Amino acid sequence: MAYLSQFEYYENNGNTPQDANWGSYQYVKLEDIVNNFLLMHTGNHSLINNEERYKIIFHAKRAIQELNYDAFKEIKILELSVADSLRYVLPSDYVNWVRISLYKDGWLRPLTENIQAISSNAYLQDQQGNILFDQNGNILRPQYSDIDYDRIKGSKKSIYLNQGNQFNGQEGWYFEGMWYFSYGIGAAYGLNTETANFNPTFKIDKKAGVINFDSSMAGELCILEYVSDGMEGGDNSLITVNKLFEQYIYAAIKYEILNSKFNVQQYVIERAKKDKSALLRNAKIRISNIHPGRLLMNLRGMDKVIK
Amino acid sequence: MINEVRNAVLSIANKNNYGYISPSDFNLFAANAQMEIYEEYYSSYNKVISAENARTSGTDYADVESPIAETLETFLVTDFLYNIGGNIFSVPTLTTVGNNAYYILKVLCHSTLLASGANTSIVINGLTDSNATFVADGVVTDCVVTNLSTGKVATVVSVISDTYLILSKDIFLASGDDYKIFSAKVKESDKVSVGKITMLNSSNLTSPNDLFPSYTLEGQTIKVYPNTIDTLGQVQAVYFRYPKVPKWTYVNLLNGEPSFDQTQSDYQDFELPNEDGYKLVTKILEYCGMSIRETELTQFGMAQQQHEQPTFSMQQ
Repeated sequence: MAYLSQFEYYENNGNTPQDANWGSYQYVKLEDIVNNFLLMHTGNHSLINNEERYKIIFHAKRAIQELNYDAFKEIKILELSVADSLRYVLPSDYVNWVRISLYKDGWLRPLTENIQAISSNAYLQDQQGNILFDQNGNILRPQYSDIDYDRIKGSKKSIYLNQGNQFNGQEGWYFEGMWYFSYGIGAAYGLNTETANFNPTFKIDKKAGVINFDSSMAGELCILEYVSDGMEGGDNSLITVNKLFEQYIYAAIKYEILNSKFNVQQYVIERAKKDKSALLRNAKIRISNIHPGRLLMNLRGMDKVIK
Repeated sequence: MINEVRNAVLSIANKNNYGYISPSDFNLFAANAQMEIYEEYYSSYNKVISAENARTSGTDYADVESPIAETLETFLVTDFLYNIGGNIFSVPTLTTVGNNAYYILKVLCHSTLLASGANTSIVINGLTDSNATFVADGVVTDCVVTNLSTGKVATVVSVISDTYLILSKDIFLASGDDYKIFSAKVKESDKVSVGKITMLNSSNLTSPNDLFPSYTLEGQTIKVYPNTIDTLGQVQAVYFRYPKVPKWTYVNLLNGEPSFDQTQSDYQDFELPNEDGYKLVTKILEYCGMSIRETELTQFGMAQQQHEQPTFSMQQ
């Protein structure tokens, strides 16, 4: 790709959106990667020849996907409001979550995952416990399972934490912005620390593609930090790689092709593998931005007196 | 070169009274001999590449690859492909582009449509459309202009204004002709076997798209994917054409002896380089020997080929 002029970079040549090229110099496009690889690493006098371009594209994209899962550290953030259904539909390019937070009163409150089941499918049953079917033989399902119904309606108990409050640590019901407690007879012993958090909890239903929250999240703003696979919804022109990983991508494509090719000597494959691993390590170190200035900031805290 | 080759052939054939080669026979043998040598260039090129990879070939005056490549490249042609319908295009043929393709090196696609409309007046070597906004549409030099009414293609030489372009050819001979203008940016199409294309089209990561188009070769047609590439002017082929059929043309003199006449309209010389002259002579002699049942002549031709060809390429 040709280099951009300053006017094109800052102003997109007067076109909209103005910010189309901001920061673009950090990245190399998929098209350039494939083109460069074909030009520089394949041919009559190269280790790789007679390979179809779609194989190069496939291995390039797979390498980019793998990098997006961790090495890139490129986290996407999406804010959505959680409705009364207490569901947050996962973004279309969602692969895995990093952090889920409640945004309230100007504060970002990281939420903890509830590892207990808070959502379930359900089948309709008759009085004898037999599962009910429709005329096509499909199982009949209720709109909500009991556990979902209780969660959504706020009739499922959870721990109330509010230090200094007389109900701190007690189990109660959160319903329409208010907490309700059962009349205490005797004392409540023990605290389930797993769910003991003032903030709402959540559990991700991956197959259903939603995050389920407890009832205290109704009407609140949820901030989801997540990672994608970098495929940009299938638009190849938008797929990019940080330049720090460019050489790694070439090495990864080379290794994958040599590794799957017939009659390539093992030492050639091993060499390509080492090349790939070393370049990935280097790129990860580089992108970690470990430099004296940052270390200095960390070290400044080392003499702090811990009270 | 064709007259020299014919004289040499006749001279050798007549030397021992082997027989006379008529002009029509000579033209027949000449075409076959030229084709045979032309095809040898491809196998020779492959052998030279193998030799280079085995480090048994040098550079400078020991560079054997370049002369072969240069000879082959004299047959390299680029043409826009005729659209048969939808995403199906004709391979280069005499009737569609004036050449038959021997081997298609690559297929190039102009995927992006910049502008379309109908011309409003006629200008020689130009396109004028008073309703157009060529500059705003991003039309620049080298963009491809297709006259959809006549099926002719030209490229933009200069953008004069929003409504007027200068073209490389005079393709608008009447007003009201529909046109389309495609971006000058070209994307190389990847050749995929017919056996693979169905799977490739349903692949989520590698299905053909405007950035990475693909094509299959089916009979005398080329199918381009994605199937949105479907208009004349969107697909170009860079290909090696067949050499033109050589023809030794003549006039009959009074005594009946044909005399060479290269002014005739159907005259065609050999297209191979001069250094292939002796190869042509020996190959034609071989054919002549078989024709007149003179085994000695055939053996002479074959022996000369073995003896005279240098032959790094042939004897590797």
